Amino acid sequence: MDIEKIRNFSIIAHIDHGKSTMADRLLEYTGTIEKRQMREQVLDTMDLERERGITIKAQAIRMEYQGYELNLIDTPGHVDFSYEVSRSLAACEGALLLVDASQGIEAQTLANAYLAINHNLVIIPIINKIDLPNAEPEKVLIELKNVFGIDKEDVIMASAKEGIGIAEILDAIIKKVPPPKGSNDAPLQALIFDSHYDVYRGVIAYIRVVNGIMRPGTEIRMMGSGTDYEAIEIGTLKLGLQPKTELGSGEVGYLISGVRNVRESRVGDTVTYSRNPAESALPGYQPIKPMVFCGFYPVNSGDFEHMKDALLKLQLNDAALTYETETSAALGFGFRCGFLGLLHLEIVQERLEREYGLDLVATAPSVVYKIIKTDKSEELIDNPSSFPNPVEIESIEEPFLKLTVFTPSEYVGKIMELSIDKRGEFKGMEYLDPTRVMLTFDIPLSEVISEFHDLLKSCSRGYASMDYEFIGYKPSDLVKMDILLNQEPVDALSIIVHREKAYYKGKLLAEKLKEVLPRHQFEVPIQASIGNKVIARETKPAMRKNVLAKCYGGDITRKRKLLEKQKEGKKRMKRIGSVDVPQEAFMAVLKLGS
Amino acid sequence: MTAGPPDHRTSRPKDLKAYKPMGLYIHIPFCKKKCNYCDFVSYAGKEDMIDGYIEKLINEIHCSDLGLRISDLNTVFFGGGTPTLLPPKHFENIISTLIRHWKLDIGHSEISIEANPGTADLARLKALRSLGINRLSIGVQSFNDRHLKTLGRIHDSNDIFRFYDDARSAGFENINLDLIFALPGQTLDEWKKDIETAINLKPDHLSTYSLQIEEGTPLWDMTKNERITHYALRVTSEETEAAMFEYAIETLAANGYHHYEISNFSRPGFECRHNLNYWKMGDWLGVGAGAHSHVDGKRWSNTEKIEEYIHGSSPTPHASEQKKEALFMGLRLLEGLPAEKFDGFEAEVEDLMKDGLLENEKGRVKLTRRGLFLGNLVFEKFV
Repeated sequence: MDIEKIRNFSIIAHIDHGKSTMADRLLEYTGTIEKRQMREQVLDTMDLERERGITIKAQAIRMEYQGYELNLIDTPGHVDFSYEVSRSLAACEGALLLVDASQGIEAQTLANAYLAINHNLVIIPIINKIDLPNAEPEKVLIELKNVFGIDKEDVIMASAKEGIGIAEILDAIIKKVPPPKGSNDAPLQALIFDSHYDVYRGVIAYIRVVNGIMRPGTEIRMMGSGTDYEAIEIGTLKLGLQPKTELGSGEVGYLISGVRNVRESRVGDTVTYSRNPAESALPGYQPIKPMVFCGFYPVNSGDFEHMKDALLKLQLNDAALTYETETSAALGFGFRCGFLGLLHLEIVQERLEREYGLDLVATAPSVVYKIIKTDKSEELIDNPSSFPNPVEIESIEEPFLKLTVFTPSEYVGKIMELSIDKRGEFKGMEYLDPTRVMLTFDIPLSEVISEFHDLLKSCSRGYASMDYEFIGYKPSDLVKMDILLNQEPVDALSIIVHREKAYYKGKLLAEKLKEVLPRHQFEVPIQASIGNKVIARETKPAMRKNVLAKCYGGDITRKRKLLEKQKEGKKRMKRIGSVDVPQEAFMAVLKLGS
Repeated sequence: MTAGPPDHRTSRPKDLKAYKPMGLYIHIPFCKKKCNYCDFVSYAGKEDMIDGYIEKLINEIHCSDLGLRISDLNTVFFGGGTPTLLPPKHFENIISTLIRHWKLDIGHSEISIEANPGTADLARLKALRSLGINRLSIGVQSFNDRHLKTLGRIHDSNDIFRFYDDARSAGFENINLDLIFALPGQTLDEWKKDIETAINLKPDHLSTYSLQIEEGTPLWDMTKNERITHYALRVTSEETEAAMFEYAIETLAANGYHHYEISNFSRPGFECRHNLNYWKMGDWLGVGAGAHSHVDGKRWSNTEKIEEYIHGSSPTPHASEQKKEALFMGLRLLEGLPAEKFDGFEAEVEDLMKDGLLENEKGRVKLTRRGLFLGNLVFEKFV
């Protein structure tokens, strides 16, 4: 393929601004997919993606149009996966910036657009959904001007749903997006921008050849990990894999090399030839660092091996997921798992439950704390239960984010209140237009991973959107709060809280636990403590009456069913000491801010 | 010897020695109005089906292949629904069928009927009594008119007194009153008053049930439906419910009533034989829509739909674990069960004794006072 005829681009947008529908329409218009083959939103293949309407895994597809080769590289749409977004963008020269005509610019519009600008991509601004009755394209034009300095005449008006503006978009891709730069004569450098595990073929890496020519049957090297493999098969991506004998500079395609799990062909890594390697890897590679941790425990301890197997399988396809076995005095054997963010956590949990049929207890998510000890040594801790003794701690640091919130101006007051309540430090406010505002805060990650997003949505009637990036560690006055049920500490319920909020949270947590714990034959004291000091106490009263009424007309079956249901309910709870604790108790920790 | 669901063939049991006492339950699924808490097989507004239903019922009695066993039939129970809605001619038909076909001995059998106040006048009560029905179970539920309204009952307290007097005048010498406690919004004092009023009537038998609010009933929506945020009614706390039960036990005992089953009290000698047969896992046959049977270790039930029942549908067999069922049913009786019946469950019994829920008294394992309140914790060990 003549490199001058190649265009590599992405579509970037805030969630729900119509990215997947736009991709569908482009594939249809270019005849890549026949209309009758079209399943809605072809690029989202995981069930969960369809259900949640978000794109978790990036994919790529090649279109042929007017003699050009157009590679659409899909990007994940959620902030948890921003590193993956950045790698996808690194494989492109242009990006379609999609903005919903009724919603305007939102937090992820901005975040993704800046990522694209930082990668020197040509931006093609598109106002989508102009067919909607509440569309206000004029207003969005003003926002685009104010925020990005985009001129009115550069913006394409479109409706992916109605097929409006599609030809114009394709023309713009050909005319405005530059062809890739790169030389077939240079040593091979190919960027892995995504990969996925296939049961039959092993890992399929999605690559963009930057320099050189990739051919199958040669020995290749992953420059980040330094390991060598054989390039077994390469090719391009249509709806399936199309094997090819070579991929030249600028081309996008796939590589199968006998790699057995996605961690060995990491997103962002550079592929080169073992024999004639490139001098350096492509810039921007980062090993993935999980930001949020929690414990997953099988409710039924006999499921431990099954869970291990399930995590192993999920990890084949999810380089960002980490896990190691951990033991909790309260919950027994389980796994400490690391995630990119809360959404990532929820997705993994849901898949374990749904695809692998596991009943599991998830402990409250935690961030990684940096403990500076009195002997000046540093320790990173991602589990409240492994916090050192307070006397050994000199200070504690926690990860902070730069949080960006977009909102109609009438909700500014409430959002300020919420953010400050969550220990956010106000950094700035900018008007996008007279009615819309961008707020920025520095805020601890630990406050954002619980229910911040839900609270933000509810205090702005769903209008505010947010995005964040990690900015580093800062000292905080934190303490570990333990929970005791019937005098026994339950390690899995320990949380790290800010000292000033400890009393309030202790009281709230004790009250919630009282609500969700079932009555037992005895009274169950519920205590929150810091060190040896009890800061809150509630008591779950003993069960007083629990007996079936009459056996109506000799219907024993009905009676049995009731008793069986009661027995089943108990089985789903985790017995800790002498107390049966339902899953809701562990979730209660999550919902402490409302 | 086998006796599974009747298959409308007449296969005669070969082993005639194995006669056991037999109870017969007859279900009458008609009501004037369905009560707000009712989750039983009963229908309002289907009175036009009564004739067809009774015809089918008599047919079912005729067709049962248990004919030979019935010489030991010693209890009959007309339950509902509201059996007293039926004209007496239907009872005449049924009872004469039982006498002819199943050799029912009216003089020595307990023949009960459930009745709701206001659904039969003196003449009808007299007619029922004259047919040999000798035990009347009145669905009082409460003497408090406000609570009767909540429950959706069609009668008020005056109807109860009148009905009770009529029943006595008609010659019923064995009368039970059903009472329900832990009604939404009911205070302990109101319940005390219900118990005292009941005792003043001097019934021969009293049943006191705590209200079960079942999903799908109007009362559920009034109290527990999570989609409704402002409930019209407040559910009784577990503490109050326990205090109500405690009061019933103490007061009825002090007034000479024998507490013989978790929810049942009687003057000595007036224990309900039909129900005792359930708790002792004897054999019983249920006829009519939704009726359950237990014969020779097998259990089955009829369809709950009247239309299906009339047009003919085969009974549904139920999985049965005789031994365990005998334990959780038998433990409902205050006399308990002989300790040897618990072989294989020694560990469970030991744990429950440690928890103070069971005790062994002279070789019988029975619920403790505490166990009466927390019976489900005991019973669940035997399912």
